[in-house]
Amino acid sequence: MKSFKRLAYPYIIWALLLIVAPMFIIVLYAFTVEGNGVITLRVTFNNFVRFFSDPIFFNVLVKSLKLAAITTIICILIGYPAAYMIAKLKGNNQTIMVLLITAPQLINMLVRTYAWRGILLNSEFPAEIKVYIGMIYNFLPFMILQIYTSLSKLDKSLITAANDLGCDNKKAFLKVTLPLSVPGIISGITLVFLPAVSSFFIPKLLGGGSFLLVGNLIENYFITTGDWNFGAAISLIMMVIILISMYFTRKLDYDKEAR
Amino acid sequence: MKKKFDFKKIYLFFILLFFYAPIVYVVIFSFNSSKSLTNFTGFSLQWYEKMFNTRSMMESVYYSVLVAVIATVVSTIVGTIAAIGLSKSNRLVRELVTQINNLPMLNPDIVTAISMMLFFSTFAIPTGFGTLLIAHIVFCIPYVMLSISPRLRQLDDNIAEAALDLGCKPFEALIKVIVPQIKEGIISGALVAFMMSFDDFVISYFTTGPGINNISTYVYSSSKRINPSINALSTLIILAITLVLIIMNVIPLIKQRRKRHEEAI
Amino acid sequence: MEKLIEFRNIVKKFDGQMILKGINLDIYKNEFVTLLGPSGCGKTTLLRILGGFLDQDEGSVIFNGEEISNKPAYLRPINTVFQSYALFPHLNVYENVAFGLRIKKMPNDLIEPRVNRMLELVGLDGRQKRAITQLSGGQQQRVAIARALVNEPDVLLLDEPLSALDAKLRKEMQQELKRIQKEVGITFIFVTHDQEEALTMSDKIVVMKEGNIEQIGTPTEIYNEPINRYVARFIGESNIIDGIMKKDYLVNFDEKDFECVDYDFKPNEAVDVVIRPEDIKIVKKNQGKLNGQVISVLFKGVHYEVIVETKKGASKNITLHVLEDKDEFNIEANEKMHASEFSMDIEDVETLTDGELIARANAQAWTADEEEDISITEVIHEIKNEVGKYEVTFKTEKGSSITTHVNVVNPKAITDEEENIGIQAFDVYKTVDEIKESMAISVDLKTWADAYAWDLDDESQIEIDDVRYDFEPMEIVPGDYKVTFVTEGRTYKVHTTSNQKEGSMVAIDFGPDDIHVMRKGIE
Repeated sequence: MKSFKRLAYPYIIWALLLIVAPMFIIVLYAFTVEGNGVITLRVTFNNFVRFFSDPIFFNVLVKSLKLAAITTIICILIGYPAAYMIAKLKGNNQTIMVLLITAPQLINMLVRTYAWRGILLNSEFPAEIKVYIGMIYNFLPFMILQIYTSLSKLDKSLITAANDLGCDNKKAFLKVTLPLSVPGIISGITLVFLPAVSSFFIPKLLGGGSFLLVGNLIENYFITTGDWNFGAAISLIMMVIILISMYFTRKLDYDKEAR
Repeated sequence: MKKKFDFKKIYLFFILLFFYAPIVYVVIFSFNSSKSLTNFTGFSLQWYEKMFNTRSMMESVYYSVLVAVIATVVSTIVGTIAAIGLSKSNRLVRELVTQINNLPMLNPDIVTAISMMLFFSTFAIPTGFGTLLIAHIVFCIPYVMLSISPRLRQLDDNIAEAALDLGCKPFEALIKVIVPQIKEGIISGALVAFMMSFDDFVISYFTTGPGINNISTYVYSSSKRINPSINALSTLIILAITLVLIIMNVIPLIKQRRKRHEEAI
Repeated sequence: MEKLIEFRNIVKKFDGQMILKGINLDIYKNEFVTLLGPSGCGKTTLLRILGGFLDQDEGSVIFNGEEISNKPAYLRPINTVFQSYALFPHLNVYENVAFGLRIKKMPNDLIEPRVNRMLELVGLDGRQKRAITQLSGGQQQRVAIARALVNEPDVLLLDEPLSALDAKLRKEMQQELKRIQKEVGITFIFVTHDQEEALTMSDKIVVMKEGNIEQIGTPTEIYNEPINRYVARFIGESNIIDGIMKKDYLVNFDEKDFECVDYDFKPNEAVDVVIRPEDIKIVKKNQGKLNGQVISVLFKGVHYEVIVETKKGASKNITLHVLEDKDEFNIEANEKMHASEFSMDIEDVETLTDGELIARANAQAWTADEEEDISITEVIHEIKNEVGKYEVTFKTEKGSSITTHVNVVNPKAITDEEENIGIQAFDVYKTVDEIKESMAISVDLKTWADAYAWDLDDESQIEIDDVRYDFEPMEIVPGDYKVTFVTEGRTYKVHTTSNQKEGSMVAIDFGPDDIHVMRKGIE
């Protein structure tokens, strides 16, 4: 309808102003010298040079990526069997299990992480392990639910067909179920890896003030130090890394489909 | 066979235990008589009393609810209108807006958060309740649109035309014909928006101003000290959510039963 | 009758494509008008412009003497029944029908009798409380009609409303719609691609094609006197034959003169002649207008569809010379050579060069072990400007040589005066490999032989219908083969209730008023 088209215009302006423009402002800050980029507008690459020339920053970046990657792998290893088992339950029990896993997620992430802080307060675990527990606790449900969704959509007759064609149960799983659940794993990876890389309150609450990830660096430069230009540069670097890793994860999915 | 089944049960049990342990822990220790977070020394309601007497804590609850309610109402209305407009736009515009909407949904929260923070600062908008609210509306609208758009796609192309044909002015057609049919999408969009807003920490943390805290930012800022009244607050939230979940799952059941009852008559 | 709607030179483009190319159309009060045409002809676009859902790029729409182009849909006294019905699924049957009246803020006590009367009219009384989703397709259709008619519009637009129904229901609804139109006495504008629907229901049919109106007329006019081939093909099945209008009331086709009822053509004007299959009778041989042979009989449920061939096709034989590829191996020089036999037109001999000979013989030379190309340095031949077979020898520098043959030919066309058809084709010289590599041998043979058939009168091309040969392409060996190109004869499609035997000799008969003569249109 010709007249309804106009209804989108205000939102398009809103979105350009409040979603797209702020993204550009990050870029602007990242490439300018101290203070408000719009006013001074002195272009520089120093922020990036500083980040990559100081091993401290680079190590934090590597540590964040490693932590996010390991979290993701553990979530797959724990989450896949769980999702598989849920998908094998009877219809009604499946719904109940999904509800039971979703319910705690409705409670504020901060509140749940704060609870872990209490449990782990006097434990002997090193800071890193505590952070892993917090990460896995927060992100495992995403992985389970994503994989479960792809498994529950799987046509049961495919397994029967595979059995009919001479696959035993183990082979049927490896040749049919697993490949067909890859899209679920992939979307699980994006839902876990992405927030894990940028997370900053989990390491702060559970790892203590000395445990730094990229997210904490950004927080520090924005909240504590007030060096917004450097903070913006770090965010930009993180965004690029995330974009690249997302590209490769997606490509994995497409390649799989193409085959 | 029997043994295998048991293993499955045990595995899922441990998963659930992992998910619920901190919740159970919080509830128990909210009734602790001492300040300890590891030893339960006895039952007391002192932390609840303290919670109700801490003004900043009560304020954070108030702001959380207020921001969530306003952000939900505004983003639902704006998102619905935008989604309807978009469904009638050409493909290029639709694709463009979808991509823009993906930015806050796919970007890490911290990036969205600092982008908003820098935006407010660039235009010299003082941070506070207003900026917090705007930021919440900004990131809620895409979720509302995401849940409405598929419903709009299923809509018969001629349905709006039929309404105009029968004498509706465009706005009437919108309210009387289109909205009732995408009602479910709007409701689930509003629910998602409320949850996103009520739960949010990262974006609130960077866009709120002095003195304005929601529950998340309050918990974060007071996490340096041990404060068991936060357990009391958490318990209340858990209670509220449990109640909502029960009601939401029971209402359809009652409705179904009533319907069956009616049909029987 | 009173004029109600006037379309004046309506033009509409979508993405630079002309959908309507200047439509002029008058519609009168109480008419049942059908816009008929294949999908993409612009009929629905025209309807949507009238409904107010689309703006035309040029031209005007005049309604009751008033230009309404700028009036929004909701102010037009026009209602629409959509192809998808577009019923409101959140409202029940009663509320759907009452919708338009509620919008007009009509009081409840006035709405109720109107809605109920309308539901009665469409045969849905008693189903007021039903949900839309509980209705069958036919019932939904009726609700859509009631919902539109309850507003008492001056015009009801129906956009292919019967297309979603099954055949039986569609027939029923056709009668029903006609009855409703008579009862309410307003103008119905009906869009369809189904000619049968158009013929049974309409007072007036508008046949459209690619954004233009081809013909406007009553069903009888359109059926009996289609204005051109396009309309004739679109409306019903027909035999369309090329003919010559000798003079008024006399047309010639199939080399015979026939009396007809048409006049007002130029003397000897080339025309299309339409004879409807059901207007042709099959009679005993020599007792009808044209003799022929029954070549196929198909039972179509009620009648038989009989194909009678009154004229055989013309044919032309050629010879396909299948030649051997030649390879030579000069062991001393360690060289291999290849050359094929080929044929050439005598006209080309004068301008013949060595290079051309190498190319046409596909002559090649290469080293035996490394397969490196070697150039051919010498071509020896004595080709004269005379039909015949000549030797050609190709040589390399090291003295390797290969000899092959060239056939100089003088191709001739054949004309078949009796059948009034000219047909031409040349002998073909091909190697075994070329035949084996052909993906579609019939098509290739036509191309290679340059086979072509035409009407001796007007030079128009006649399709070569059949290529007959008696070899298996994949197992062919060198030698000469006969290939025959055949054109299609004249056939008539006849609808009759009596069965005929295939192969029997019969005659077909038709009267002067069964012959419809049309001016040649651009197809």
